[in-house]
Amino acid sequence: MPPAKPTRDGRVIAEPWLPRRARRIVMVLAGLYALFVWMDAAGLNLPDKILPLPMRFFLQEAALFPDAARDSIEYRAEGWRCDVERFEEIDVRSFFPIQRDDKESRFYRAMFFHRRQRPVLEALDQFIVAQQNHAHPEARIGGVMLLSLRIPIPPPGTPEGRYQRLPLTDYPQEVERKYWYVTSSKERTRRCEELAAP
Amino acid sequence: MRRPPPEITWWTRLRDWLDAPQPIERLALARIVLPLVLLSFQASRLVHADHWLSPVGFRVPYLGGSDWRQPLYIPPVPPGLAWAIAIVTVVTGLSLSAGLFSRAAGGLFAALLAYLALADRLEAFTVSKLGPMLALALCLAPSGARYGVDAWLRRRRNPEAPVPTHVRGGVIRFFQIFLCAMYSGAGIAKLRGDWLSGDVLWSHLHDNYQTWISWALARAVPGWGWQALQYLSLAFEVLAPLWFALRWTRPYAVIAGLGMHALIGLMFGPVIWFAILMSTLLVSCYLPERWLLRLFRRAAPAAAIA
Repeated sequence: MPPAKPTRDGRVIAEPWLPRRARRIVMVLAGLYALFVWMDAAGLNLPDKILPLPMRFFLQEAALFPDAARDSIEYRAEGWRCDVERFEEIDVRSFFPIQRDDKESRFYRAMFFHRRQRPVLEALDQFIVAQQNHAHPEARIGGVMLLSLRIPIPPPGTPEGRYQRLPLTDYPQEVERKYWYVTSSKERTRRCEELAAP
Repeated sequence: MRRPPPEITWWTRLRDWLDAPQPIERLALARIVLPLVLLSFQASRLVHADHWLSPVGFRVPYLGGSDWRQPLYIPPVPPGLAWAIAIVTVVTGLSLSAGLFSRAAGGLFAALLAYLALADRLEAFTVSKLGPMLALALCLAPSGARYGVDAWLRRRRNPEAPVPTHVRGGVIRFFQIFLCAMYSGAGIAKLRGDWLSGDVLWSHLHDNYQTWISWALARAVPGWGWQALQYLSLAFEVLAPLWFALRWTRPYAVIAGLGMHALIGLMFGPVIWFAILMSTLLVSCYLPERWLLRLFRRAAPAAAIA
């Protein structure tokens, strides 16, 4: 690092280690970065037109919570139990240990981003089945149903109970369920037969 | 013969403003606190590095290269390498915060944070995207010039050398402009969204981000109170460049910003790291110099604390 320089007014300035020309270039790039972050949030899509996807990704950071949530969304999974041949809720939180109890869980994020992308849901299906059968060999599954719950939000000012995660069976009828993915019956049978094989 | 004084143009004014020396404490505060906040945010992921970066955890398959949900496909790494990346990230972040090998640590920390943000979209949030830029800015600035191990070692080698009191303004100006761009952009996005007509704040209080504070506030604050908070936030954010540009509104803007971030952090669980990150930037950039120096227990600019 260049030595600090005292000035006539008694201040001692720590000099940057970048040469002056490089500093100017960095300042221009930094200014463009701030401008593009602003443009992206403000809905001016110039950055989208001129920058590649990985660079745009780092600009998409200012438009936070612009819209009201219509409902509170929860993502859940049911597993096809090979022994009793029916779907039952499975708790997948331990298979996704990062931020396992909130919206930042990988399961929640995978469903949030990719709930309409079959290749991702198939990968999720395989992952959950493998994890469940490894962790709970007494309750093996051959497939999954991946769904979301739309829990109505009460009008502003309505006193309500503290949030708690409930089993699927405890949610009342008015909580809408949307099924995004079901392992095919053929695939479930194949996997269950494979698991039953000695 | 005397040289004529240089012509004053908008360009020279801008250059002078950008270069105007800033108290070194602004940069030191950012260097000490920001890496710690970034590491704290990543902590819940770093302790599960294998689930995050290797095939031990769920990985989104390659989506073809043009999907916005996967800005760059980076294949998973072996679990051992995932742990090594996590350890080096922690070491470089702590080193930058301590002001030890600040330049190298800052550069490596920035590169690792960029990798972590791109390697897995599922774990990338606003803080993940801000992190590489902030670490890079700290790397390019003389952030280890004071209040750190590098500075202490330099002073031991050469006790007679003057202790820096200021830095060239560039990096602080960048943080200041960036904050205004971030707030103003966020405000405009909210204006274009539901913030004028919908119950946005209220609507986000009911899911698993809920803390006991947000729950208690949801019960105590009447419906119109949430609307009022919404409009206050909107006015603060949209007009942030004005609030921070005017000298007499600036201290109030700092207080308003800190209040807003405190509420966000306390009401929305994991969002607390974003709130602390923004608060740190706010304090580093805009806290009145007198308060800032008091924070560092430095009475006069020339006092010599290494």
